[in-house]
Amino acid sequence: MQILKMVRKIIQYPRLTQNYPDKSRLRVDRFVGKPVIDISKCTRCGECASRCPSRAIVLNRESNDIGINYDECIYCMLCEEVCQTRAAKMTNDFEFAEKNRNRLRKSPLPEDSGVSEVSHEELCNKLERNIKKTLGRSLYIREVDSGSCNGCDYEINGMNNPLNDIERFGIHFVASPRHADMLLVTGTAVRNMQNALLKTFNATPDPKVVVAVGACACSGGIFRDCYAANSGIDSLVPVDLYIPGCPPRPQAIMYGILKVLDRIKG
Amino acid sequence: MRALNKKLVELFPKDIYNSIFNGSNELYLEVNSREILKICTYVDTELGCPLVSMFANDERQLHHKFAVYYVFADKNRSGLLTLKTMVSEEEMTIQSICNEIPAAALYEREIKDLFGIIPKGHPALKELIFHGNWPEGKYPLRKDFDTRKKVHMINKKKEFVEVKGEGVYEIPVGPVHAGIIEPGHFRFSVAGEPILHLEAQLHYVHKGIEKMCEGESIEKCLYISERISGDESFTNSLAYCQAVEKIVGVNVPTRAKYIRVVFAELERLTSHLGDLGGICLDVAYGFGAFQFRAMRAWAYLIADELCGMRFLRSVNRLGGVRKDFIVGKEKSLIEQLNKIRTELKDTAGILKAHSLFIDRVENTGVLSAGIAADLNAVGPPGRASGRHYDVRKSYPYEAYTDLDFDISEHNNGDVNCRVNVKIEECFESIDLIINAIEAMPEGKVREKTDSVEPHRFAFGITEAPRGENIHWVMTGEDNTVFRYKIRTPSFCNWPALCHAVKGNIVPDFPLINKSFNLSYAGNDL
Repeated sequence: MQILKMVRKIIQYPRLTQNYPDKSRLRVDRFVGKPVIDISKCTRCGECASRCPSRAIVLNRESNDIGINYDECIYCMLCEEVCQTRAAKMTNDFEFAEKNRNRLRKSPLPEDSGVSEVSHEELCNKLERNIKKTLGRSLYIREVDSGSCNGCDYEINGMNNPLNDIERFGIHFVASPRHADMLLVTGTAVRNMQNALLKTFNATPDPKVVVAVGACACSGGIFRDCYAANSGIDSLVPVDLYIPGCPPRPQAIMYGILKVLDRIKG
Repeated sequence: MRALNKKLVELFPKDIYNSIFNGSNELYLEVNSREILKICTYVDTELGCPLVSMFANDERQLHHKFAVYYVFADKNRSGLLTLKTMVSEEEMTIQSICNEIPAAALYEREIKDLFGIIPKGHPALKELIFHGNWPEGKYPLRKDFDTRKKVHMINKKKEFVEVKGEGVYEIPVGPVHAGIIEPGHFRFSVAGEPILHLEAQLHYVHKGIEKMCEGESIEKCLYISERISGDESFTNSLAYCQAVEKIVGVNVPTRAKYIRVVFAELERLTSHLGDLGGICLDVAYGFGAFQFRAMRAWAYLIADELCGMRFLRSVNRLGGVRKDFIVGKEKSLIEQLNKIRTELKDTAGILKAHSLFIDRVENTGVLSAGIAADLNAVGPPGRASGRHYDVRKSYPYEAYTDLDFDISEHNNGDVNCRVNVKIEECFESIDLIINAIEAMPEGKVREKTDSVEPHRFAFGITEAPRGENIHWVMTGEDNTVFRYKIRTPSFCNWPALCHAVKGNIVPDFPLINKSFNLSYAGNDL
């Protein structure tokens, strides 16, 4: 009887999977995506820039320019709330993971900060080719929490639920870095985790891809000034892809993973 | 609280210097630091008020001394009794109370690491926060420590409790685990299969949140509080809001109170469904795991519909909520919740009748009532071990006073009881959300908050999905935070977990761990 009840439950619903990247089954209109600032409406009053909790809004008085560093943004909607002229607005756009951190930023990072454009792109392309060649269409992932609030980890977990089901792409999570092709790193590489992160990185066989998930891993997010936190994991390990968000929703992480594998063009 | 004050002052006339009443339910007594053990023991054992938080504060700017606060919960009177002692810079020691009140052991180690105040008489003063990489003589929570300055790393040997004997061996696990979870190091001392001793070395994700909040604006700290522990975003920000709202003296509109209940219960539902799925996965019961995961995903769809944020961030604002999230969505919400309830009922029925599942969870990971009381175990693990305590009943906040609900009661303290508590709480949460939606009055959802006066303080106390959650906020000059002490339920329950695994086999550890479902980030801060 028990088994009959189970079988009945299993066949009760038609397929639950939402089929991302196809968006027809997603309610994208409900998503909170990245904020944008309409330069033509903005009066440069500076209210949003001074109140932004993670100081992600860059207002340059000299060039009269304003913009957002998306790697630092925590998507809290405060800019939209305080903007008198409705220039700052939240959008539904959640697919904006980038291979180069400077492409997420309004104020580019200096050259010597470990983010060098050419080598990373090249390295990344080479790795992709290698991975495709050696692994065909499957990918093994090891997740490392290097000091997150656990939001990103739950969203990574969420990729395994029946609605997202990342295994349909041939992507699996593995228990050991020694079995992994990709490290999904969350958190700011805090003091106590730096050693563990480096050891995990070194234990992962080449070719490998490192993906920074969430504002903390990309830039340190709201925590980057803490004495035990760090301004992003790229000061410790080379990063191939940055997925901004606080936390990024499972589809945004999937977008990033598929992008680094070149299954989505962008 | 006045009666309690009178009683204590009569008993310790010489040792209580000063009483301060703060709001309706907070009593602060400044006491003689030499007699702290005597008074704490009396409050804990004779009055039956457990120690729920303990923290230090660098108040040298105010009166040239450090202060140590001991917070006791007077659950029958819905009050919080705080004993405060002063520590001068020359002294820098306090008398340890952890031999009498075991729950104090971790707090005292934390105070030692962060302030350099030594608890005299503490039996095991191992470094708690930093794992041998922090130089001596630097104390991050003192006011003269600059949070933006990075401190150099040193390399000291880490020490663990050693269990000796024939055939005893150690299994070190972590900090990076096999599953998609947070980091922590577990050292099992094992003889054959059963675990003799477990030492959990946590604080791997220690960022320095409490220090970071100091000197930041009241508004910014709200966003930090949402990021203490991801899946408890709402309840943490609610505790922070409560504390600040108490200090400002603002009355939250009734509709906002109901909206807060809806979100708090939605967070609990989501969290518990995730735990139940994890427990099923850890006993290799795939059917159950996927059922609960699907239900959890549905709960996230509700969150998306309400506020667009799956972790319910940017919902709370000081003085209410950001906007009216519920209006116009009532019908769809109730429909979706009923769907989850039906599915949960069916799945729970199958689960409880499944002998393989029951075989794994029954009598596994028993947390005895005595240990639960000594360590002040809270939340579902506490309630599964006979501690029938829920903040929503004992310290009613928001609209919980007007809503009818029950607290689940279980006494065996094993994984099975924790599963049952969580299933019952899921049903209770669904009912609470629906009742709150139906009882919700019309009206505005946010009251304007003015600037705050400096050096005022208050507690915020909420029932997080994992249990009692206590935040203490002291304001500084110019609308800033002077001190923000965060005590999440995980901090109380981690030591309880280490006791619950004793005598169990190592392969059952993930299962027991999942049934407690503790937050590493909320513990490590």
